[in-house]
Amino acid sequence: MALFWKHRDFVIFAILLGVALAFPFMGIPRFILAAVLIMYCYATVVSQWNLVFGLAGIFSLAQVAIFAFGAYSTALLGRYLEMNLWYSFPIAGLGGILFSFLIGLACLRLRGIYVALLTLAVSQMMFVLIQTDAACSALNKAINPMSCVSFTGGSQGLGDFGSFGWRAVLGGRNWMTGDYYTMLGLLVIGLIVTYLITQSRMGLAFRALRDNEELARSRGISQYKYQLLVFGASAFLTAAAGGFYAAHFGAVGINLFGFPLLLFLISMLVVGGIGRLWGPLLGAALLMSADEVFKEFSDWRNVGLGIVVLLFMIFLPDGLAGGIDKLHKLAVRVFTRARTA
Amino acid sequence: MDFFVQIIVSGLTFSAMYALAAVGLVLVWGAFNMLNMAHGIIMTLGAYFVLMWAELAGLPLILAAPVAMICGGLMGAFVYFASAHWMIKQRDFETTIIIATFGLGMAMEAGLLKLLAELFHSSPYAQPLSMGADSFLVAGVPVSYQRIIIWGAALILILILAAFLKRTSFGRAIRAVAQNSDAARLMGVRVRNVYIAVLALASALAGVSGIMLSSFKEVHPLMGGALMLKAFIVIVLAGLGNLTGALYAALLIGMVEATVKVLIADQYGFTAILILVILALIWKPAGIFGRSTVARQ
Amino acid sequence: MADALLQVEGLHAGYEGQNVLNDITFDVPKGQLITLLGPNGHGKTTLLRCISGLVKPTKGTITFDGQRIDGMEAEKIVSRGVVMIPQGDMLFPEMSVYDNLRMGAYLKQASAKFEQNVEEIYTLLPRLKERTSQMARTLSGGERRMLAIGRGLLAGGDILMLDEPSLGLAPIVIDQIYEIIKDLKKQGRTLLLVEENASRIIDLAEQIHLVDTGTIVWHGGGKELESNPQVLETYLGG
Repeated sequence: MALFWKHRDFVIFAILLGVALAFPFMGIPRFILAAVLIMYCYATVVSQWNLVFGLAGIFSLAQVAIFAFGAYSTALLGRYLEMNLWYSFPIAGLGGILFSFLIGLACLRLRGIYVALLTLAVSQMMFVLIQTDAACSALNKAINPMSCVSFTGGSQGLGDFGSFGWRAVLGGRNWMTGDYYTMLGLLVIGLIVTYLITQSRMGLAFRALRDNEELARSRGISQYKYQLLVFGASAFLTAAAGGFYAAHFGAVGINLFGFPLLLFLISMLVVGGIGRLWGPLLGAALLMSADEVFKEFSDWRNVGLGIVVLLFMIFLPDGLAGGIDKLHKLAVRVFTRARTA
Repeated sequence: MDFFVQIIVSGLTFSAMYALAAVGLVLVWGAFNMLNMAHGIIMTLGAYFVLMWAELAGLPLILAAPVAMICGGLMGAFVYFASAHWMIKQRDFETTIIIATFGLGMAMEAGLLKLLAELFHSSPYAQPLSMGADSFLVAGVPVSYQRIIIWGAALILILILAAFLKRTSFGRAIRAVAQNSDAARLMGVRVRNVYIAVLALASALAGVSGIMLSSFKEVHPLMGGALMLKAFIVIVLAGLGNLTGALYAALLIGMVEATVKVLIADQYGFTAILILVILALIWKPAGIFGRSTVARQ
Repeated sequence: MADALLQVEGLHAGYEGQNVLNDITFDVPKGQLITLLGPNGHGKTTLLRCISGLVKPTKGTITFDGQRIDGMEAEKIVSRGVVMIPQGDMLFPEMSVYDNLRMGAYLKQASAKFEQNVEEIYTLLPRLKERTSQMARTLSGGERRMLAIGRGLLAGGDILMLDEPSLGLAPIVIDQIYEIIKDLKKQGRTLLLVEENASRIIDLAEQIHLVDTGTIVWHGGGKELESNPQVLETYLGG
């Protein structure tokens, strides 16, 4: 048991990966497969958010905006430059880095609270700009002279920009499996990156800063530099995840910038556990399942999510992963006391 | 010349709403470093309380506004007991309370949407306090009586608030808690009462701000969100905890927004003030209006 | 002692698992001046913060006027009559001197007599009268200390606790502060004084408790301390 706990991260990873790889061959209905692959997508975003927020201590609410930025970049590149989406993902990722650097340069030197407010305001600004973008675009006239679509699609959203292309390879019945493995691949990369960053010198530096800021500073650890690095690195995968999302659905919409999606993803982070390795995956899995199970109460979805976030912040601010750690520590203490008694 | 008047007229109206929404945020932040993300839904509720009391309960309009304001204040106390009360001792309160009140605000907003579907069947709704477009001319620009009332109401409420903070014993206690809460406790100030009071005060003013906004457009369940973000931008520009600074910042941002809306286009108003604030923060990270008057640095 | 106004028994306290106070026991009889003497950073301030309720003790009891006050909120404790003048003054920097004084008399029983009491404070501390409408943050170090004392006196408590009233002041101002303390003692007020410097209080205090690394290592009168060079040398560096 103690041995398992020591290597638990690898054991859990191996088991989960095995199950995930075998999943499409277990006779699962298609709609579940579709939900699981979206879960992978969200889990990637939340795991990157966790790096920014939980490890680097940047209270950014722009993660969803970066995700949406990636989705829109992919959509625009595919639609107007007819770019193969596999090329546009890394471009969207690089765009995400640039975008996050701009935000980071503007507010990372400020107190955490300012970061939260400004990143939220930036998301809202993009929402407003796209929502009010209504002028017919000449580029779209070139695609379809009869229609009037604005450059970003405005409040209508934008489609017709391509897909992963699995339909051509795997056929009309199995393309979903292709999308599934693509998303899984992204998530695995996301988790490995998270793990590597956490274990790296940078991860150590952040823990040092968290434990004793003055000492860490006196040793020449610059919080700002590392924060900007983590912010940028996580933005790459977040924006790429946005691109994958767009490619899977074949459409992007203004709701990607909206508060309900932010609430959904923040509840994954909070329920799973901020700053915990497995938190984002746990949170994403639980909330996506809950979303499916309670589908008939979907009118109450945001009420429920809001209350869940509130209750977790009050009673379990470290989330379920933090709760499990606490339980484990308690169990160890009770066990050793029972043995010595 | 007339667009100059036009900018001032519409800018002052924005400023009035932002000021009322922002001073409360400043007081709450000053008292216990809480940023209330449910502030926006309380603004929306302010507008709906007028609707409910006037249309459903048949209260005369002249009473509906103050009653709605009191209801807004009660919502502030509700927010305190639903969130901050249980979390105030948490190590990262500053951060956790933002997430918690974001959740609370979203739940309240979604609940309101659901409830409204039952109560009013259709939304948006016209604000009964709206006086329509009746106006008089200033230098060829029509100025509606609605705006005069909004300016007057905002001015009077802010003067009352200032007098309350300066001249009454409890007002002094609020300022004392903001400046040094341990010292205030040593003087016998019950800090918890101060927390509840500032949240109630902030929410009552937010409610009024929501009523003002709805009297121009209509009562809509999602109307508070953008107004809240602008109020946040105002207090960030002023430097958190700076009360008089927030008033100046509200004036400045209202004017800038009106200028962009009149001279360029409606939809770039928000972008313009956000860029202004980001540039201002790079220039002066502690806010552009110097020392604080209410809170610790 | 039957007439003890304040009794501290077996008090422990600390921050985040680190013990700062270990088994502190002493009492303050009515009308006397008791001093907690010892070098900085050895828990004297924490002890006063415990009594005034800003820090919760982990173990032990504090009794005031026959009733337990440990674990109570600070705002309740002051309303019972335990008033602290904290280290570093803790003024309200963005309020006028007058408003700071009014905050001292915030509680009902004190605010009723404010107009009358503030005149007494002005005679005791004439500097404050000159500065009455000035912001507290613009005051000099000595004036700040005067204001902190004036504000504490206006609360009208039964016991006044002063945390290092001479800290960081010029000798001439320290003299003034101790004149005030002597005055208060003459008026028969109960005082609990935290000091780092033995010379000022040796003739003044009825009892001196020597605090070292969170415990009381010696106690006795001023004369006893003077005639005990070994104690002086060990704990106060001569």
